[in-house]
Amino acid sequence: MLASAAAAAALLPRRLNPNPNPKPYLLKRLASSTTTSSSARTTPPNPQIPISGAAAATAAEVESNPTPLFLRPAEHPIPATSLAAFRRRAESLIPPTAPHLHRHLRWLLADAAGEDPALLRLPLGDLEALWIRHVRDRRPFQYVVGNEHWRDMVVAVREGVLIPRPETEAVVEMVGNVEGFEGGWWADLGTGSGAIAVAVARMMGPKGRVFATDVSEVAIEVARLNVQRYGMQDKVEIRHGSWFEPLEDLKGKLMGVISNPPYIPTEDLPGLQPEVGWHEPKLALDGGKDGLEHLLHLCEGLSSVLKPGGFFVFETNGNKQSEFLVDFISTKWDSSFCDVGAVLDFADIKRFVTGYRR
Amino acid sequence: MARALLRITRCYSSPLSSLTFPPPPPLLHRGAAPPLRFLSISSSSPSPPPSSSAATWDGPGVKGGGDGEDFLGMSDDELMGQCEMGTFKASGPGGQHRNKRESAVRLRHRPTGIIAQAVEDRSQHKNRASALSRLRTLIALRVRKPINLEDYTPPVELLQILPLKSTIRGKDVGPQIGPNNPKFAPGMQALLDLLFAVEGSVSEAAKILGLSTGAVSRLILSDDALRTAANEVRAAKGLKPLK
Repeated sequence: MLASAAAAAALLPRRLNPNPNPKPYLLKRLASSTTTSSSARTTPPNPQIPISGAAAATAAEVESNPTPLFLRPAEHPIPATSLAAFRRRAESLIPPTAPHLHRHLRWLLADAAGEDPALLRLPLGDLEALWIRHVRDRRPFQYVVGNEHWRDMVVAVREGVLIPRPETEAVVEMVGNVEGFEGGWWADLGTGSGAIAVAVARMMGPKGRVFATDVSEVAIEVARLNVQRYGMQDKVEIRHGSWFEPLEDLKGKLMGVISNPPYIPTEDLPGLQPEVGWHEPKLALDGGKDGLEHLLHLCEGLSSVLKPGGFFVFETNGNKQSEFLVDFISTKWDSSFCDVGAVLDFADIKRFVTGYRR
Repeated sequence: MARALLRITRCYSSPLSSLTFPPPPPLLHRGAAPPLRFLSISSSSPSPPPSSSAATWDGPGVKGGGDGEDFLGMSDDELMGQCEMGTFKASGPGGQHRNKRESAVRLRHRPTGIIAQAVEDRSQHKNRASALSRLRTLIALRVRKPINLEDYTPPVELLQILPLKSTIRGKDVGPQIGPNNPKFAPGMQALLDLLFAVEGSVSEAAKILGLSTGAVSRLILSDDALRTAANEVRAAKGLKPLK
């Protein structure tokens, strides 16, 4: 018991415990609930470390189900009293000073229940395990429920794909402001969940197409699911491969190139928020030296895929990177591009670089 | 251009500010405007920030705010076009660095300085819709349009919220619209305009609306926000509140 309390204390999210003096009553509750419900306590936060022990299977099983929780059939009857008891137990794990976690609990229950609130999409024990993993191991809420609400969409996500960020919503707006975008061919490179590709496709006319590429097979699967969920199979073509590689046949034909590539400098990865650094794919975050490795590669390939007048927009790490890229493109390829500039995000950070092929 | 668009159409709360995020302002906030501490109005903002919003709606209502424009008759897009979505200053590098799911929306209606916000939904789109509908209610409650009683005919929006027994309410007006219907706001605004024009006298308003004084009182009391706004109109004329 002591050992488990210590383990829980060590793993207790910082956000829950900003006070350097731990609150013993919280830890005790946390520890006792983890011992009864699952092995989550022994699950290392880093998914790359193998999970051992029979009990660990529960959590692993829950997470290995490729169907996002919110899309699973609601077939587990649950008495209202059990659900209420779960809610109380779940609430006892989070302090009143963490309103976002209380919201998450509300949303988890909303996503876990079917239209009939007496039916859950998973057994109660699994739900409990999910909640503990979220609160204690900082597993992103979006992976728990299997979706992210992004623009007016509910985008399916799971481990192995980047959770679409609110900043990125603006990319869709920028594409929509390009004259004649709705009839052109576009590429979304490193599409991940496919959020951008689907959102852009939904604004398009009958002739518009989005070619969405990704090197990750999980991303391809998830993107395919999102394309299907929004009925965009005729507009979005998903291609497996790295950056421009699967687009050989489209050289010089694209009206636009969109990408939110990995842009975090490798040296910054250890300092990331646990939800991001422990759980999201490095493949989608690690931008190499100065975070520019992939962005530079994308810039290099632009001129051969874009048709004259074609548009590009890349998301970047922020001010420094955007300024560097704008300067780099304008200097090195002045004859190929025009109107190259940085665009601010909602927090007034130079988040995007855009421009046109001459 | 894109920059300007982004600035006015995007707005989020900071993920870590959730602990300090203020609750939505009470529907009937009176006196000074809520503090603007989360509203960052950039110097390059496409519209000049209003000089002082607090002054614009001090007292029972904004009289003829925005040159008597019919804000409630506008479509959502038009009304949105008059709003500023203050950027919630996010701390830290943002983007891929951060996981957050807060999606608060705070709208500031430029012509009147009225602020509405919504935080309760996980989708930013839904929060924007809630904030906009809240804004409509606030406009109805606060923006007073002058009425000339000599040749006054109640607008159809007002007729629609009246009980069926009103003698001036034609059969073609349809069923009575209640406070939960989004169309209640323009009716409420027209009712408050009338009450304001008759200096808060419910019996005078009742005569014009073809109803008993009691029926108009009950209508006013059927909605908390409407009751409070009506009582402020009355208080300004030295009348005692309806209960």
